[in-house]
Amino acid sequence: MGDLLFNITDWMRGTVLLDWAFWMQETAFSLFMVENFWNVPIAQAIHILAIGAAFGSVLMVVLRVNGMAGAGLTFEQTAARFVPWVRWGLLVIVLSGLAMIMAEPVRNMINAVFWIKMIALIVMVLVSLSWIGSVRSAAQTAGAAYIGTGGAKATGWLIMALWCLIIVCGRWIAYVPV
Amino acid sequence: MYYPEPTTIWESIQYSPLGIFIAESTWAFPTIETIHVIALVTVLGTIFVMDLRLLGVASKNYPITSMSRDTLKWTWGGFILAAITGTLLYISKTSSYMINPFFMGKMVLLAIAGLNMAYFHFVTWKTVANWDTSPVVPMGAKVAGITSLIFWITIVFFGRAIGFTLGIYDCYMVGQGDDGFIVSMLAGIACAGA
Repeated sequence: MGDLLFNITDWMRGTVLLDWAFWMQETAFSLFMVENFWNVPIAQAIHILAIGAAFGSVLMVVLRVNGMAGAGLTFEQTAARFVPWVRWGLLVIVLSGLAMIMAEPVRNMINAVFWIKMIALIVMVLVSLSWIGSVRSAAQTAGAAYIGTGGAKATGWLIMALWCLIIVCGRWIAYVPV
Repeated sequence: MYYPEPTTIWESIQYSPLGIFIAESTWAFPTIETIHVIALVTVLGTIFVMDLRLLGVASKNYPITSMSRDTLKWTWGGFILAAITGTLLYISKTSSYMINPFFMGKMVLLAIAGLNMAYFHFVTWKTVANWDTSPVVPMGAKVAGITSLIFWITIVFFGRAIGFTLGIYDCYMVGQGDDGFIVSMLAGIACAGA
């Protein structure tokens, strides 16, 4: 596994990604991120806080579909409470993530795990959007008694698993051999 | 690898077989750290949900007892997992953590956050039947909510700061320059006997 990831990273070194990373490194914003010792840890702390807010909100929606939370509420009420927190949370995650990429462009852009994380993030967002749409229409008539089908419940847990996979990749960007 | 004879209780922990294993293994520390992050975002996420209800910011029409039932088991489950994984990380670099102001600060903040939660559950919670379904909660519950939010946000920042400052502070460097009050005080605990 380590060898495979290293080989992918090694291949990336010969692509245009490296030129982009070098260009990013020279931008004013990149220099700003590295000139103060605390900028990167602050960006990371904001990243984690936003992940907490979004992760907790997704968990509450998944638990509602599983009949394990939000008793007495319709799915629409649960979604109205938590989905905006996922959206805004994701926006903060992306912005703080961009700041971290700009701080260390080469370490991120020339890193197989970083790109696996980006693919997992896109898959997670697409699966979530399609899931929430289908659950919404299925839940409309059931009212507060709504509980998801086996497929809807399992997809909810799959989304949680994808969040965890993204977190795993996030941490291993720092440790994978490059 | 050669390890010196431990001179402090912290080095004895660090140079234990488990401490050495986690420190030397290529996968153990990152794996435990990853589980720590997943556990802590579970704690954070569920605590935010409960705190925002207490503050009357969100879920205003959802009973507080129901919100507590939905979130508390996840908060505790996540916290126990974070505590176990945190302890394992601590074992691998005990002496560095003991003299790190952000690590010791984080432990103090965790203790205060715990006391805040205990006070809320054992005192404020007694009258919950009176305000369970009300969007307006008593001042005690609001204070618990805002205190919890502030402390947990600070705990995350301190947690991240530990990773960036580990190794900056060291028992062998204490006393050779201007250490500052906090580091000098921590050295009294961390470097005793060294």
